[in-house]
Amino acid sequence: MIQNYITIAWRNLLKNKAFSVINITGLAIGLSCFILIALYVADELSYDKHFKNGADIYRVNSDILFSGNESRLAVCSDPMGETLKKDYPQVLEYTRIYASSGSKLVKKGTDYITENNVCHADSTFFKLFSLPLLSGDPVTSLSEPNTVVISASTAKKYFNTTDAIGKYIEADKTPYKVTAVMKDIPLNTHFQFDMIFSMKNVNYQMGNFLSHNFHTYVQLKSGVDPVEFEKNFVQVIDKYILPQAGQFMNIKSMDEFKRAGNNLSYSLIPLIDIHLKSDRFPELSTNGSIQFVYIFSAVALFILLIACINFMNLSTARSANRSKEVGIRKVLGSNRSSLIKQFLSESVIMVIISLVIAIILTVLILPYFNTVAAKQLSSSSIGKGYVLAILLALPIVVGVLAGIYPAFFLSRFQPLAVLKGNQNSRFKKSWLRNGLVVFQFSISIILIIGTLVIYQQLNYIQTKKLGFTKEQVLLVSGIGGLNENAGAFKNEILQLPGVSSATITSFLPVSFSSRSDNTFSTEAVMTPKNSLNMQTWDIDYDYINTLGMQMAKGRNFNRDFGTDSSAMLINEATAAILGFKDPIGKKIYTRNNLNSGDLTPTAYTIVGVVKNFHFESLREQIGPVCMRLGRGGWIGCFKVNTQDIPGLIKQVEHKWKTMAPSLAFSYRFLDESFDNMYRSEQRMGSIAFSFSLLAILIACLGLFGLATYMAEQRIKEIGIRKVLGATVTNITTMLSKDFLILILIATLIAFPLSWWAMNNWLQGFAYRIDIEWWVFIVSGILAIAIALITVSVQAIKASLTNPVKSLRTE
Amino acid sequence: MIQLKNIFKWINTGSNRVFILKDINLEIGEGDFVSIMGPSGSGKSTLLNIIGMLDEASEGQYLFNDTDVFSLKEKQRSQLYKENIGFVFQAYHLIDELTVYENIETPLLYHNIKQSERQAMVADILDRFNIVGKKDLFPSQLSGGQQQLVGIARAIVTKPKLLLADEPTGNLNSSQGEEIMELFRKLNEENGTTIIQVTHSEKNAAYGKRIIELLDGRVENK
Repeated sequence: MIQNYITIAWRNLLKNKAFSVINITGLAIGLSCFILIALYVADELSYDKHFKNGADIYRVNSDILFSGNESRLAVCSDPMGETLKKDYPQVLEYTRIYASSGSKLVKKGTDYITENNVCHADSTFFKLFSLPLLSGDPVTSLSEPNTVVISASTAKKYFNTTDAIGKYIEADKTPYKVTAVMKDIPLNTHFQFDMIFSMKNVNYQMGNFLSHNFHTYVQLKSGVDPVEFEKNFVQVIDKYILPQAGQFMNIKSMDEFKRAGNNLSYSLIPLIDIHLKSDRFPELSTNGSIQFVYIFSAVALFILLIACINFMNLSTARSANRSKEVGIRKVLGSNRSSLIKQFLSESVIMVIISLVIAIILTVLILPYFNTVAAKQLSSSSIGKGYVLAILLALPIVVGVLAGIYPAFFLSRFQPLAVLKGNQNSRFKKSWLRNGLVVFQFSISIILIIGTLVIYQQLNYIQTKKLGFTKEQVLLVSGIGGLNENAGAFKNEILQLPGVSSATITSFLPVSFSSRSDNTFSTEAVMTPKNSLNMQTWDIDYDYINTLGMQMAKGRNFNRDFGTDSSAMLINEATAAILGFKDPIGKKIYTRNNLNSGDLTPTAYTIVGVVKNFHFESLREQIGPVCMRLGRGGWIGCFKVNTQDIPGLIKQVEHKWKTMAPSLAFSYRFLDESFDNMYRSEQRMGSIAFSFSLLAILIACLGLFGLATYMAEQRIKEIGIRKVLGATVTNITTMLSKDFLILILIATLIAFPLSWWAMNNWLQGFAYRIDIEWWVFIVSGILAIAIALITVSVQAIKASLTNPVKSLRTE
Repeated sequence: MIQLKNIFKWINTGSNRVFILKDINLEIGEGDFVSIMGPSGSGKSTLLNIIGMLDEASEGQYLFNDTDVFSLKEKQRSQLYKENIGFVFQAYHLIDELTVYENIETPLLYHNIKQSERQAMVADILDRFNIVGKKDLFPSQLSGGQQQLVGIARAIVTKPKLLLADEPTGNLNSSQGEEIMELFRKLNEENGTTIIQVTHSEKNAAYGKRIIELLDGRVENK
């Protein structure tokens, strides 16, 4: 029986080539989008699931609200882990990662290489994170100072072998002994380290509950409810944190602290949720977003659905051709259920063919998709895990989904009616079919509008007045490695033609550069009411000019004033929070070092107010920043003004090589770093663009099929009308009108939905565009134009047919 | 085998009720060969379709082998139909996408007959009808007479007790028509298949053992 079905399905495919090509193309594209997204989603969901005790591991997050400045941190204080383990038996073990020291300069032969993926970690690191070691002991490898665990590929890079135990690595002028070599950390891990150094080498004054700099992970006994456990943090605050805070700030109780409008709380986030659900500062690597996972999944399903709808629509539109067969089969003794089975197996076969094409397409597209989505998905994972299961289920699920309606529709025909009469041979208007076309186009239009809005917002970010000039600023990193020669290097570069000013700093108004915050008060005695936590940046005299920032009030630092070492610049946001009417000349105070017991305040005099500039992503409001004169910046910034950028870079590199022959030269531009902050939006933009293109393509394929079929069915009517004197225009209009009405309805449905969806997305940006009315008009016209072209090609063809020819066939 | 009692069939057009069949009473025994004649619109085909269970009467009773057909559920009726009835059409109604062999095989598939048995049955009938050489051709490659031969082969391959034919020779020339009629006679005499045919032609009607004349939905004489 099934053989008979396959035979007839195959012959039907060959007989109706146009129909088959449209369906198979649409389904193949839809399925291939689906597979790509399934790969993407499967990868996103697999993050950190490879750790053995992963389900019991949590990271301690801190939420601090202090003087109107809110910090949502992925880190907590250094004694937190130890304290939790000591006081609460539910905590089996803890480990800390210290990554705040940034990159390290590592010696290889006579060269120095900047290694970015480095951290310091406690000896318990491998106890919590079950990363396989090629050699070495997971328990003791980090317990001594001056020890390091390196990844297999790092071992090969430095020693040409993975057998590196006992060898030494010199990082930041300190020798470290390699005690273990680990397999490269799987890419689906929320941190990527090539070198893990011992925590004992961290230059940090431990025991401070008030500074938050350590990524701290705890392993709870299995079965312990993390939400229940989080309640213990209140005790920790009372017992440890308040007494320490009381030393330098006049706080007696948490209530008093809260009454002043402040707050402090800690929470646990499951390890396996970090990648998709954590958006805090500082994350150990760029995290994904559960929002993208949802959006992409929905888009994949919708595209697949659009392709299925093509199948449904074309099958039912073509029903006349099949109705005779249905009649005969019923007369020959077939009951309805076996006809339904037959039609379903036809659609399943169609889906299997499409699936084969889709898999080939996916393998071909994957490298491109990887670039766009910044992933390293491999086509071999098509045959694994979830994805394989989904692929095996797809023909059945999609085949049935696409085929169920045609199957029921076609198998309903009464043999007597179809064998005798002609009542089913006309292209009948069907509400369902019309509804499905409207649905397809609504989705396509929503995707078009979404894409336009994303692009507009990105463009807004790119062109918004940021409060600083990001163009033509060359950044040379690692300048701190020159030590006292840094200043000389800066002056040498300033001599080059085309360089107008220069500054050395670690603090730049883009993310991925250094940040440092400090607490200030407006009076010498610090209380919760008069203090403020803000970014504190060390800059030099030329910083403001080089980055093109503007002064709102007062003056910039000036070499002519001998007293500027205790001067301070603040931004407008700070001035507003401090509530100074005229901040110039006012003093603010901070404590240099809490742990050394030195509680004498240091005073700074505000000499100028800088106009607000964006130093975080535009998703955030501009926060308070102050700037003071300081040394030891790590990045040289050069404002350049020349057409010959490559030539200039060559000259700079030449100077660098003569001054620091052993240090690697690395440069980038400030606007590139700026763009990096919006990578995920740009990615989303390109992906949304491709998908909306595909969605509209598939929807148009379906429309083309319907139009072709309709023209075929009405060929006699068209002939008669032409004989009666209708022009080509008359007939084209007649044939296109019905479809245009459908597309118009689709636009009306799509407008409010897309407005709502995109408005929601824009809420994630503190600085955003308003969605403009012309976006809707443009996308509506675009959809109508595309549909009109698709339909009218067929309509014109039909109306040009010689009526004698079409009428003779009767 | 077949008992029709007071069969009426009408359709409503607006407020008018148009009668197609009026008070038909008919009895057809096993092994009979009946020709139904009458002018166009006299209700011949409707009567045949009611007997063939493709259509229902508006009123009356139809007993098939003592089973009340109209009171059966859809499933039971199609079961009864499947086991007992074969249909031949004026327009042949072969499935265009299937070869001669596959067309004949199709009803056997619906009777859940095993592959080996199917092959034997189809081969047997191809042989009997002398169309072995045509078995891999598609309907469009055959002449009208040949198509109708295939149509009949397909109708009787399941060995139905009752063969219904709606103007089986209507689209054929006279020599082809004669051939078909000879075949019917043979089926009736040698296999004992009950045959009911609708025809316009006196000559073809004469092949039957009995002729029923219909006029305006009534049986004129038996």
